[in-house]
Amino acid sequence: MNRRMRDPEESSQTFYDLLEVNESAGPVDIYQAYQRAKATYAPNSPAIYSMFSPDEAKELMALIEEAYQVLSHQGRRKAYDQKLGIGPAQPTRSQSLPSASFQVSNSVRTESVALAPPRDELPEGFARTRFSIYEVKPEFEAQVSALEVCSGEMLQKIRLYKGVALEQIATEIRASKNMLVALEADDFEALPVAVFTRGFVVHYTRLLGLNENKIADAYMKHFRANKV
Amino acid sequence: MEKRQAPLHSTQRSRREAWIRINQAVSVPAQKHFEFVDRRGKVKPASTIIAIGGGKGGVGKSFVSSSLGIFLAHLGYKTTLIDLDLGAANLHTALGTPLSSKGINEFILDPNMEFSSLAQDTSWPRLKLVSGSSETLDVANIDDSQRSRVMSAIFRNPCDFTVLDLSAGTHSATLDFFLMAQHKIVVVTPDPSSIENAYRFLKSGFFRKLRRYEHQLHLASQIDALMANREALKIRNPGQLIKHISTQEPVLGPKLKSLMSELNFQIVLNQARTRQEAEMGFALQSVCHKYFGFPCPFVGALDYDNAVWQSLRQRHHLLSSNRQSHLYGQLMSLARKIAKSQPLQAVI
Repeated sequence: MNRRMRDPEESSQTFYDLLEVNESAGPVDIYQAYQRAKATYAPNSPAIYSMFSPDEAKELMALIEEAYQVLSHQGRRKAYDQKLGIGPAQPTRSQSLPSASFQVSNSVRTESVALAPPRDELPEGFARTRFSIYEVKPEFEAQVSALEVCSGEMLQKIRLYKGVALEQIATEIRASKNMLVALEADDFEALPVAVFTRGFVVHYTRLLGLNENKIADAYMKHFRANKV
Repeated sequence: MEKRQAPLHSTQRSRREAWIRINQAVSVPAQKHFEFVDRRGKVKPASTIIAIGGGKGGVGKSFVSSSLGIFLAHLGYKTTLIDLDLGAANLHTALGTPLSSKGINEFILDPNMEFSSLAQDTSWPRLKLVSGSSETLDVANIDDSQRSRVMSAIFRNPCDFTVLDLSAGTHSATLDFFLMAQHKIVVVTPDPSSIENAYRFLKSGFFRKLRRYEHQLHLASQIDALMANREALKIRNPGQLIKHISTQEPVLGPKLKSLMSELNFQIVLNQARTRQEAEMGFALQSVCHKYFGFPCPFVGALDYDNAVWQSLRQRHHLLSSNRQSHLYGQLMSLARKIAKSQPLQAVI
């Protein structure tokens, strides 16, 4: 039976069924389900009395342990999901966000220029951000990487070069669109205090796949010089 | 009508919140009428039938069914309570209603009697009671024709909800009444004896239904063969049996599986003294799911409350005499959950 459970194609009962959780369940749900199952199928549990013999309960417990071992570990769970044919169609927030931002910032550190790593084949001379695919212009890239002071207008230029809409950024970083318009228009009256503005710029540039610290520093120079 | 609530002490509040949490986590699945439409000559039952069973005596079947009836009536549904505990009828006592001269036993004995003439009014508007009052000897052992006459009368009873209070034990008549309902509620208390009897009751219900459909689908010989060498095939529970049949019989097996999964027993945990006991409902739900192979939702936990037997002594129903009990809210939420699957229709 154990062997059968390990092969998801043969058995209709998956680890998710065993723990009675959704396929999109987060780590906390899985932990709670595991605790509940452990209490339910413990040898002296009143709930299994006359339904499952002690041996069957033991077997079930072993399966539940196995299920938890797999599902509680991100890597093992990913491999198991692939085996089941569950794509990461609706990854939970906790799974998707850190890895995506990690990817981008990582690439920035290694290449120091503004490219997210290509996930699949792109034609020569093109690159992508999270939201778009754009044509690489080496002279512009060089100009960006050589920036000492970066104005809002420059931020807008980079954004338009990468083909990302303002709305996409606004939704993703949960800032109002008016704020971003003010940022790009150098409307310092409408911008919040320095620390928050810097936060917005960091997120803005990270989404564009730029070196966020460098650009944010460059922008803050501009901000301090002009803000009254 | 809204009663203002007195402020609660912190312990009371946390207890209340825990109950609310438990009762929010459980839900009643939306009922479909396909079972009757598909297989009973396209006849729909005239009302939504709720059967309350439980295997063991004294677990509160009559209390739950009378309370459910009262609250469904309170929510605006025309409700009929039927006492089907034929040998030991006591639903009228649970309701605090005087004994009527005509009950279900007279209906069984007199072939010319109309079922509609049995319903007696209660002290709650919209709630009717068909009691099983007579002291006739041997009325508990009804034969097949009498049983089917009672069942078809219940089936055609015109109202919104019909609540059946069943007897203890796994008599075939009890099982048939249980299986004819859309909401098959099993009442359990946290005692091992009650849990064992409830499981026995559910298993009997399952196999009675299986027996009926295995003949209809001509699967009887295959099932017998599987059961004969179940040790070799490692068939230990009904869920695995159904799974084996589905692999052997690619057409009829899944059909049988879908028929059986319509059973979806609903579990009500009664007389819970602690929160741990109330949460045992989830454990029962999980065990039943693994054992039978189809979901058996846990629909509500009810507190243990001395007020229940106090009001029974005084021949009142708890809900008419003691509204401060925790049970009031718990039963109300149970009734609401069941009623939610059936929107109230305007009378024009």
